[in-house]
Amino acid sequence: MITQWFKPANNNHWADWFLKEHHRFTITGLSRSGKSTLFTSLMTMLKYRSEGGYQCLPLLEYLPAELVEHMWVEPVDGFEMFPLENHMQALAEQRWPSPTEDVYGFKVVVRLRQTHGVKKHLLPYTDVVFEFIDYPGEWLTDLPMLTKSFAQWSDSAWAQQMNRPQRDYAQPWHDAVAEFDFDQPPEPDAVAALVGQYRDYLLNAKKNGITLLQPGSFLLGDTGFDWRAHGFTPLPSSVSSDITHPWTKVFDKHYRYFQKHWLTPLKNKTFRQADKQIILIDLFEGLNHSKQHLYQLKETLSYLAEVFSYGESGWFSRTILRQQGISKVAFVAAKSDLLPAAYHDDLLRLLKQVTEGAVARIQDKPVHYEHFLVSALQATDPGSTSTSLRYRGTSRQYIEAEFEPLPEAISAMSAQEHFPVLPAQVPDDYLPRILNGRGLDRLLQFLLGDHHE
Amino acid sequence: MSEPVSPYRAKVQQREVDEAPPTHAMPEKFGTEEWQPATSGGRLSLFTITLLLGLLALFAFSIVDAIWYLQGAYVESPVLAVVLSVLLAAFCGSLVWLVVREIRGYRAVNKYLHRTPDLSALAQGDRHSAIKELNQHAATFSADSFAAHRFRQYQHSVQDDMSAQETVRLYQRMVDEPVAIRAREIVRRESMISGSLAFVSPNHLIQTLTILWISLRMVRRVAQVYGLRPATTGNWRLLTILAQNLAAQSIFDLASDEIANQISGSLTARFVENSAEAVAAGALNVRLGKALIKLLS
Repeated sequence: MITQWFKPANNNHWADWFLKEHHRFTITGLSRSGKSTLFTSLMTMLKYRSEGGYQCLPLLEYLPAELVEHMWVEPVDGFEMFPLENHMQALAEQRWPSPTEDVYGFKVVVRLRQTHGVKKHLLPYTDVVFEFIDYPGEWLTDLPMLTKSFAQWSDSAWAQQMNRPQRDYAQPWHDAVAEFDFDQPPEPDAVAALVGQYRDYLLNAKKNGITLLQPGSFLLGDTGFDWRAHGFTPLPSSVSSDITHPWTKVFDKHYRYFQKHWLTPLKNKTFRQADKQIILIDLFEGLNHSKQHLYQLKETLSYLAEVFSYGESGWFSRTILRQQGISKVAFVAAKSDLLPAAYHDDLLRLLKQVTEGAVARIQDKPVHYEHFLVSALQATDPGSTSTSLRYRGTSRQYIEAEFEPLPEAISAMSAQEHFPVLPAQVPDDYLPRILNGRGLDRLLQFLLGDHHE
Repeated sequence: MSEPVSPYRAKVQQREVDEAPPTHAMPEKFGTEEWQPATSGGRLSLFTITLLLGLLALFAFSIVDAIWYLQGAYVESPVLAVVLSVLLAAFCGSLVWLVVREIRGYRAVNKYLHRTPDLSALAQGDRHSAIKELNQHAATFSADSFAAHRFRQYQHSVQDDMSAQETVRLYQRMVDEPVAIRAREIVRRESMISGSLAFVSPNHLIQTLTILWISLRMVRRVAQVYGLRPATTGNWRLLTILAQNLAAQSIFDLASDEIANQISGSLTARFVENSAEAVAAGALNVRLGKALIKLLS
C-alpha cells in the first residue's frame, strides 16, 4: 500500500497529498445561531451513517455509503477537542447544548474505498477530511473592527445606537454618558464604571435579539478578552475627535491592544483560511422581535461578508502557497423545524432577503452560493393542520402552535405583530430526531460536490 | 404556560394538547444482504410438464395405435379411448396455458416498456406526481427482483421535504443506477462465459447451441434484475438481436475457418481461430446485453 512507502520516512505530508482530500469549513454563525447543535448533529449523522449503516443524509452523493470504510474524529492542532460527548449527554438529559464560550476544533475523517481499476491498487483509499472550528458567535462581529481606528469605530458605534432597534435598548447607556464627567482623569475605577455601563447595554441588547454588538468579546465571561483590564467604549464625538483628550488616548490604547493581542491572533487562528463557508442564520430571533431586527440582521451579515476573502483558488496557490479564498458559500437558516413545512418556501424567501447585502458583496466574485433551510434536530412534529406544529414545552407539556402566514417581505412585516419563537425542548427520542434531521445532506452535497449551478 | 409579555400581537396561537408526541424511529439501515436471483426451487416447470405430457401422449397414442392395429377393434376399446382423450386433453390444455402465459408475458414486457417514466420530465414536475409515477412504475417489478429490493431502500430514504428533482435524483441513485450496474455486471460475466465456452467448444453446432443457451440465460437474468418475470422476456426486438448474433457468429466461424485454412492446419492456427471466435462470441453477447439494458432502462 502506498501509505507504507511514505510512513517509514515519517513524512505524512506526501501521503496527505495523494490520499487525503481536505475540506476546510468556516461556519460563520452569530451567537445563538445553532452552531454547536449543528456540529453535534453533523458528527452524529456521519457516525451513524458510516458505522451503523443508517440511511441518514440520503441526498449526500459525495460520500456513497457503500464506499465508506469507516470514519473517525481527530482534534485540530492547537484547539481543544469539540465536546461532542458532553453535548450528547446534555441532549440525553433533555437540555440543549450550552452556548459555546471557548473555541473548539475537530476533524472528521471519512475513509472511502477506491473503486477505479488502476487507482484501486495504487491508492487504495481516499480520506475525506472535514475541518471545523466552533467558536463563540460573539467573536465574529468583532472582526470588522480590525480595519478601523478607534475614532472610526466609536463614530460608527454611536451611529448604530441612534437607529432602531439598538436605540430602543441604548437609552440607559446614553443617559449614563450624558451624565459622565469626561473631565475627570481616566483612572481605572472611572474606566471600569464606564465600561460596565456600556457592557450592561450590550448584554441587554443581546438579550433582546440584537446581533450587531461590538465588541462582542465583552459579552463573554472569563474565557475571552480581559475587558476589565483593557476595556473601552465608544466616546461622544466631542471627546473622540480630540486625539489629545486623556479618555481618547486611553481608549485608543486599549483599542489597539484589543486589535493586536486579541483580534489579530483570533483571526489568524480561528478564522484562518477556509475554502467553504456556511453562514448560519437564526431568522426566528428577528421574527420574534420586529422587522427592524431583521433589517439589523441583514446589515450585520453584510458587514461580515466584508471580513472574509472570497474567490476560487488555483492548484498552485492552494497547494504550494497555501493560500485560498472561499469558493462556496451556503446561507443557511437554522432551526427550520420551528416553522410548519407549509411556510418553508416563505422562510427561504425571507432568508434570501436578509442575505441580499452579503450576496451583493460576493456575487461579482468567482463564488458559488446557495440558500438552505436546515433542521439539525427535528424538535417538532406536524400539527393537526398544515400550518401548525407540535412541540414539547418548557414543562414537558405537548403544545400545538398554529401559525399565521409569514410576511411576503421584511417590509411587509407589521410593526405591531411578531412570531414568538417556540421554546421547544429536547424530545425524549432525540437520537432518531437527529438522524432524521432535514437539509444537512443537501447542504453538504452542495459544499462538497464538484458541480454547481 | 408562562410566556414573556410582548408588546406585539403574536401571530402564533398556542394550546396544550392531550396527545402524547409520536416517537420517531431510527432511519432504516442500508441493505447489507446480497440480492440473489430467485431460484425455481427444484420444481418441474410447466414447460417441462407439458413436454413430458406430450411425450406421454405420443407414447400413449403409439401404444393405442399398436393395440388397435393388433386388436383391430377400435369401437370395442372405450376405456382406452377415454384415457387417450384425457391425455390428449391435458397436453392440449397445458400447451394452451403455456401459450397464453407467454402472450401475457409479452404484453407485460410491452406494458413495462411503455410505462418506463421519463425521469427528466418527472424532475421538472411536482413532487407528488413524481412519487406517484415512480410508485406505479415500481409496481411492475416482481417482488423478489433486485429492482424491487433497491426500490424498498429508496422508499425508506425519501423525506417529505424533498423536491421533485431531489426525489427523482434519489430514485436514480438508489434504483436506476445500481440496477444498471448490476445488469452490466451480469452481461460482462455472461459474455466471459460465452467467450470461454466458444473457445473450448469442439464444433460449430455445439458452439451455436452454447451461445444460444448463454444468451437466453443472460436475457433471463438481466430481466430478473430489472424486475421482469423470467418467463416474460419474449420481446421480438431482443429475439431479433439474438438471431442476428447467431447469424453473425456463423459468418464469423466461416471466415475464421477460411483464415485458419490459409495459415496452416497447425495447432497454432486452431488456437488463433478459437481465440477469435471466443472474442467474437463475447462481443456479440455484450451487444445483446447492451441492447437489453437500453430497452429496459
